Amino acid sequence: MSESYPAILNNYLIVGALLFTLGLIGFLARRNLIVIFLCAELMLQGVSVTLVGFSAHHGTWAGQVFTIFSLAIAAAEAGIALALFVVLFRRGMSLDVSLWQDLREENLPPADEAPVPDEQIDEQQWPHLTVAGHLPARADGIQPTATPLSKPTSQPQRPVEVSRG
Amino acid sequence: MSLLAQIDGVVAMADIVTATKSVLFSDVLARVAALLALGGVGIYLMLPRGEKNRSQRWLGGGMATVALVLFATAFVSPVVSQDGGRTLPITLLWPLDKEIDDATCWTFHLLAALSLASAAMMISSRNPVYSALWFAMVLLANSGLYLVQKAEFLAAATIIVYAGAIIVTFLFVIMLAQPQGTAGYDRVSREPLLACLAGIALSTALVGAIHFASKVESTPGAAVAANQGRGTATPPDTIVTKHLAQSEPASKSWKIDHERGHVLGLGRSLFLDHFLSVEVVGILLLVAVVGAMLITSHIQRGTPQTTGSMGDRAST
Repeated sequence: MSESYPAILNNYLIVGALLFTLGLIGFLARRNLIVIFLCAELMLQGVSVTLVGFSAHHGTWAGQVFTIFSLAIAAAEAGIALALFVVLFRRGMSLDVSLWQDLREENLPPADEAPVPDEQIDEQQWPHLTVAGHLPARADGIQPTATPLSKPTSQPQRPVEVSRG
Repeated sequence: MSLLAQIDGVVAMADIVTATKSVLFSDVLARVAALLALGGVGIYLMLPRGEKNRSQRWLGGGMATVALVLFATAFVSPVVSQDGGRTLPITLLWPLDKEIDDATCWTFHLLAALSLASAAMMISSRNPVYSALWFAMVLLANSGLYLVQKAEFLAAATIIVYAGAIIVTFLFVIMLAQPQGTAGYDRVSREPLLACLAGIALSTALVGAIHFASKVESTPGAAVAANQGRGTATPPDTIVTKHLAQSEPASKSWKIDHERGHVLGLGRSLFLDHFLSVEVVGILLLVAVVGAMLITSHIQRGTPQTTGSMGDRAST
């Protein structure tokens, strides 16, 4: 086992190194706090691939045990960091990491970052679902209406139109 | 004695300098750097930079794909194979080793390509929900890579813990904080050019180091010949080999034995050799859970969030 995987060890190390590098690029470049943290997890995955490759190459369990530990660390890290992100979002109402530049060392010049574009580029194509099926009749005999719950109206609404297909 | 040691040190320094020169000006490193630079430019074009149209993204994706395909298949370095001394075009990522069958080879390369492509899509996606889903794709591909190396428990644990729990937690927080999908700061990056340059430099250094280190290690005749040339027939007596010889544990639980069960062996190693670490990680998880609850319960009370109130809570 220890001698039969020299070349595949090389490949695992290269894949791990490239995953780590991609995580580094994303960590440095992105501005969303959650995406930055996902990139840190990607770097951890690169290290895990490397450790598993070494474990199979040397024929010992140590690499796999280390990977289990890094899995546990990642879980703990995700719990703490996501709780912090919720707190930061409640304060700034944004996940932009540039809002927290005052946490840096003092007397540093502010980073000149690209301005956030104002206009919405509508990349997102949301699906349009057709209304299908009957609304179930209520027990007190009132006709169910299509009124959204957030806008209660006193006017009687016409029954919901049912369209299939 | 000290003079002899100094002379020996000078000779070793000269060896290191010549070896460094031969690596730095080698053909292989130039090709690797060129391929990684192509991939880095592709990643740069894929990253969000506030552009209006999506043609640059497609161009960048195409460049990164070409770099990946060339990296996997192109002729990078001729290495003399061990059987018969023929010169085979061994690529950096595609081993032509006789001991690895074709199925393993194809499986590995498909999974590795899937993993790297998903990672590129993850760091360049405009929508954090898509980033999280692409990361789940990376995790699935990595689980496949673990299975190729006969690490079944890790493959299952990665899917269950990472893709099942951590990614779902990420999605919860994204839906909590940013339910409208993409935001303005998701369409711009900070310093994408410098980040890609750092990535190209780091990946070239890492891949070059891996390639040259494994080339020295994988030709067993070379090290012995080098030692015989210097008058010592014993294996190289470096710090690493000394440390390995001393730290080799006597217990059988250290070694992988595929005749016995996989989970049995992993569990024995985990709870015999690394028992204290398991306890420490358990305590760490407990502390993380309590900390996360403390942080989020603090905002539910509606108290003004200043550092002073945190200090008061900690003291009481």
